[in-house]
Amino acid sequence: MRRFTYHEPKSIADAVHLLSAYGEKARLIAGGTDLVVEMKQGKKEPDHVISLRSVPGVNEINFSGGYLRLGAMVTHRAIERSPLIRERFTLLADAVDNLGSVQVRNVATVGGNICNGAPSADTAGPLLALDAVLLVEGPEGERNISLNEFFRGPGKTALAANEVLKQIIIPELPPEACSRYLKHTRRKAMDLPLLGVAVTLIPEAGGEICREARIALTLAAPTPIRAIRAEKHVAGKPFYRAVWEEAGVLALEDSSPRTSFRTTAAYRKKMICALLPRAAAEALERSGRTMKG
Amino acid sequence: MIAVKISFLLNGDPVTAEVPDQVTLLEMLREHFELRGAKEGCGYGECGSCTVLVEQEAVNACLMLAAFVNGKSVQTVEGLAGKQCRLDPLQEAFVEHGAVQCGFCTPGMIMSAKALLAENPRPSRDQIRRGMAGNLCRCTGYAKIVEAVAAASKRGCSCGESS
Amino acid sequence: MAKVLEPESGGVALQAVGKRLPKLDALDKVQGKAVYIHDLKMPRMLYGKILWSRHAHARILNIDTSRAEKLPGVRAVITGYNTPEIKVGFLKDNPVLKKDKVRQYRDEVAAVAAESLEIAEEAVRLIEVEYEPLPAVFDPVEAMREGAPLIHEEKGSNILKLPWKLICGDPDEGRRQADFVVEETFLLPWVTHCCLGTSGCLAEFQPGGNLTVYSPTQIRYLAQRDFLEAMAALGLKDKRVRVVSTAIGGAFGSKLDTYPFEFITILLAYYAGRPVKLVFSREEEFFATPARQKVEAKIAQGCTREGRLTFRDVEMVLDNGAYTSWGATTPSVMMMPISSLYKVPNVRYTARCVYTNNIYATAMRGYGNPQATFAIESQIDALAEQAGFDPLEFRMLNANTAGEVTPQGFKVGSCGMKECLEAVRESLNWNEKRGKRNGRGVGVGSLIHVGGGARIYKSDACGTIIKLDDFAKVTVMSGATDMGQGSDTVIAQIVAEELGVCIGDIKVIMGNTDLETWDVGAHASRTTFVAGNSALYAARSAKEQILALAASLLNEPQEDLAIKNSVVYSRRNPAVSMQLERVLRAAHFKTGGTQIVASHFYDPPTQMLDKEMKGNFSAAYTYGVHGAEVEVDRETGRVEILKYVIAMDVGKAINPMLLEGQLEGGAAMGIGYSLMENLQTEKGKVLNPNFLDYKMLTFADMPEITSIIVETGERFGPFGAKGIGEPPLVGSAPAIANAVYDATGKRVRSLPLTPEKLLFDADGSEERGGE
Repeated sequence: MRRFTYHEPKSIADAVHLLSAYGEKARLIAGGTDLVVEMKQGKKEPDHVISLRSVPGVNEINFSGGYLRLGAMVTHRAIERSPLIRERFTLLADAVDNLGSVQVRNVATVGGNICNGAPSADTAGPLLALDAVLLVEGPEGERNISLNEFFRGPGKTALAANEVLKQIIIPELPPEACSRYLKHTRRKAMDLPLLGVAVTLIPEAGGEICREARIALTLAAPTPIRAIRAEKHVAGKPFYRAVWEEAGVLALEDSSPRTSFRTTAAYRKKMICALLPRAAAEALERSGRTMKG
Repeated sequence: MIAVKISFLLNGDPVTAEVPDQVTLLEMLREHFELRGAKEGCGYGECGSCTVLVEQEAVNACLMLAAFVNGKSVQTVEGLAGKQCRLDPLQEAFVEHGAVQCGFCTPGMIMSAKALLAENPRPSRDQIRRGMAGNLCRCTGYAKIVEAVAAASKRGCSCGESS
Repeated sequence: MAKVLEPESGGVALQAVGKRLPKLDALDKVQGKAVYIHDLKMPRMLYGKILWSRHAHARILNIDTSRAEKLPGVRAVITGYNTPEIKVGFLKDNPVLKKDKVRQYRDEVAAVAAESLEIAEEAVRLIEVEYEPLPAVFDPVEAMREGAPLIHEEKGSNILKLPWKLICGDPDEGRRQADFVVEETFLLPWVTHCCLGTSGCLAEFQPGGNLTVYSPTQIRYLAQRDFLEAMAALGLKDKRVRVVSTAIGGAFGSKLDTYPFEFITILLAYYAGRPVKLVFSREEEFFATPARQKVEAKIAQGCTREGRLTFRDVEMVLDNGAYTSWGATTPSVMMMPISSLYKVPNVRYTARCVYTNNIYATAMRGYGNPQATFAIESQIDALAEQAGFDPLEFRMLNANTAGEVTPQGFKVGSCGMKECLEAVRESLNWNEKRGKRNGRGVGVGSLIHVGGGARIYKSDACGTIIKLDDFAKVTVMSGATDMGQGSDTVIAQIVAEELGVCIGDIKVIMGNTDLETWDVGAHASRTTFVAGNSALYAARSAKEQILALAASLLNEPQEDLAIKNSVVYSRRNPAVSMQLERVLRAAHFKTGGTQIVASHFYDPPTQMLDKEMKGNFSAAYTYGVHGAEVEVDRETGRVEILKYVIAMDVGKAINPMLLEGQLEGGAAMGIGYSLMENLQTEKGKVLNPNFLDYKMLTFADMPEITSIIVETGERFGPFGAKGIGEPPLVGSAPAIANAVYDATGKRVRSLPLTPEKLLFDADGSEERGGE
């Protein structure tokens, strides 16, 4: 790795100050599992590396007032071990269950996963399907960014160079809601998704009709996306497999998957159609219901 | 040269090192402390050969800046065996069950298993497979490693000390 | 010719052989004490780094090393222009530092030795090379065409002058006799070894010019010979080269040749006048280590109505890459299953190895056999179906048997193929599970491999020296190489058994060309058989010396004496006995005394293949059958292995635990080859040089393996054993592909067998028609 100066500010404001002072020559480091690799590969060569690990509070999980607040430095492991998240925000637990290795999950953070803007980020889809909002701090103070607005392209986000992600804010789901994140991979572990499908379902009273669905796809487009057409299609309709198969086809219209050496666009398309109904069915099963037809 | 001073507990002993800022935990352990049990198999956190414990949790030492362990405890494979040639039950189980072939992945495997058993003293075979999936092995096909970890768990190798 | 060996236990139960004993060096390895090349440090040692070309085919116009030379801490900068030319590879077509032109994306252009790795890396970045790109060719079929860019102009053609050809019987007549014929083409990808420890070596010159190379090589003595050639190029013709093995972090054939990086390290050490270590990064390991080659195999087989095979006709094109290493001779092993897997009277095999601007090909576990067996055994299923036979029954009908001489001239000693087929049938619950086409299916793949060495060189020998000290502790110095497979332990068990001592009293030393006698290398699954026999004979010789001494001490006839538990005793009158160590001391501490040293140089009773590529080139043949039960997700195309079984005729299991380790590890590699592994290249550049994108199996991917060991007692094998290192991956791919066919009705003829290929045509674009 190229030489750099390591900083450990004691507050977000100090971190913002350092970022402002060093500009493009500075990089924030969270767990480091992505940045260290990129620095070793010479893809990123910062002169200053700024860690948030001495900032109090950024690794806390807090649930109150109808919101789950994840500090930016909350590790995937902490999410994995949180009974609250497993119970109430299940698809987020799905996301970390098979993200990298235990070793990576022990240090990699949810903030890092989002801020890297990697098209394959495992928490991105679930957080999109949870309508997450990002609380960021810059020289001008704090602001909120909807995650829907956050991803701007591979490796590109709405975060300014001198802004720091503080918190991910997730509105509570109604108790009847259910969710599932399906990560489709070649291997069963240590793999990036070929496609990720995140689904949050909120049924009408009685549970037969879908009141609202939030559907997010990873690797279906250059950034993680919401499949809006598919969401609209299933809203107000009963949980029938045929409806969700139609939604799969509509989700294709929201998508623009790429062919890479990892797989083909055609395969990704086929997986969108195959896995959206499957994710919905598995989400429903979690609330004791079954997809009909 | 820019250097950072790091104080931490290494295999139970308080130590201090002054290393350049960009040095990883693995480089510091192998070069500064001459503990060469942890190996660099890939350098990118994809093989687990460099696994050590930081605050009892398994991490890839190749991806962690040395500065990250300031004030923390680090355990390496060299810190497992007790005095008078006594091995940790996991080490014994790896030997007895044929879990070692070329051995390059072994120190990392054992440290991963150590963390796994500390959290879950009686893992199922499936939990062992999932919990250790960050450690690659090209020789054994993993089967004998699963056996060894299962055997060590039966012997009650759960916490830090050999019993 | 060697004698038929029988255990000297005289009907007594074996004490050490056949036991599940831990690997001898495991104690060191679990403590992190084993010293790999990565861990080795010498005083004043420098770090070496290679500058790789970044063109697949280009003329080198200029190399400017001046900026690198000026960098503080740089001690040597070498190129093809300031060092003597050294060409490596068995066709000597690979200059260790490229001059005039580069032929692959990973060509060695320059190298640096510096005080630290960081400085060496920085220096390499400062070397400026001017290239003029040349038209390149990456497809071997295109490379054979008239007018294709020539990789080596002086050769006049991209087709290697190694016309592999084997004809047995009359294949055309065999085709006429066939009632059913199937013809297909199979494609196999580049795959690589993925040793967890990357490649590297350390070279150190002693004052006066002798050289020591520390290396995780599989071929200590052949490497010594190769390095001597480099010494000659440096004008050090009469000096010594010592090769010292480090602990080997995996090999699998990758360390069966010497490569440019090793010679570059020697050159750097020479010019810097300091020890130099050069170790690959993981990325370099992926792109710079030669790999198992890409193969296109056209194959036809036919059988009669009664199900008897009448012919097999195979034509192959092998991508050799830009240079020649041991990839180019894999057809010599591919011939083995082509001619001798099942009883097939008429055989034709031709293969062409073709230069391209790709990475180049070397040995990898199985050495061509996995590619050939995938084609043969996939097609055996298709042929059985066409002829109306259960595929397993069809295999039983044509199975090899003990005592047969195959069309290629292999003299089959023991053969447990039918036992293996039956064992797999039972284990898979074959008769119940087969033929359902319901997304679940079963399949098998049989194999033959050399099990008694392979006479590729004029000598297939291994030497052993044994000495006993005054306390009856035994030191075995073996020319063999342990790369994790457990040869150290197997050799110790054989010696312990023969000498009547416990395994704890034995130390096996391997790894220093100054100490041990010659061995051809750890290849061809030969070490248990050849090094095992060598150790057995040496132990027997030591024992005879001991018993002769004991005979005079005990006043008993030598032929009545035996050793057990380190006690020499009379078999006729067990009360007459003496501790072995007392015998040894009595022999030593007297005027004109002696200490026991014995040696043996064992060369198996085999022939080199003749000009027609026929002859009995191994002293034994190993047979086995892989079986798989799979479930295919019809929506995603994902293949899940529900059950995996390997039945292997090993002759005799010297150490069943270590043997299972070979079966399980081989299966993991074989399943990876079948389903996921693929070293992807684009215009000669490796696209996936990391463990994330090159998918070897993880813990989570590995199914439970059922290992069935069939013991047939090989006449020439040590205690009846045959070699087993490679076979555990040879039958995987056809077993899985056949199971997938049984589950879905889809025949995939290329590896890896990906979900994309199950759902789409091979190019992933056009959807396949129904079932």
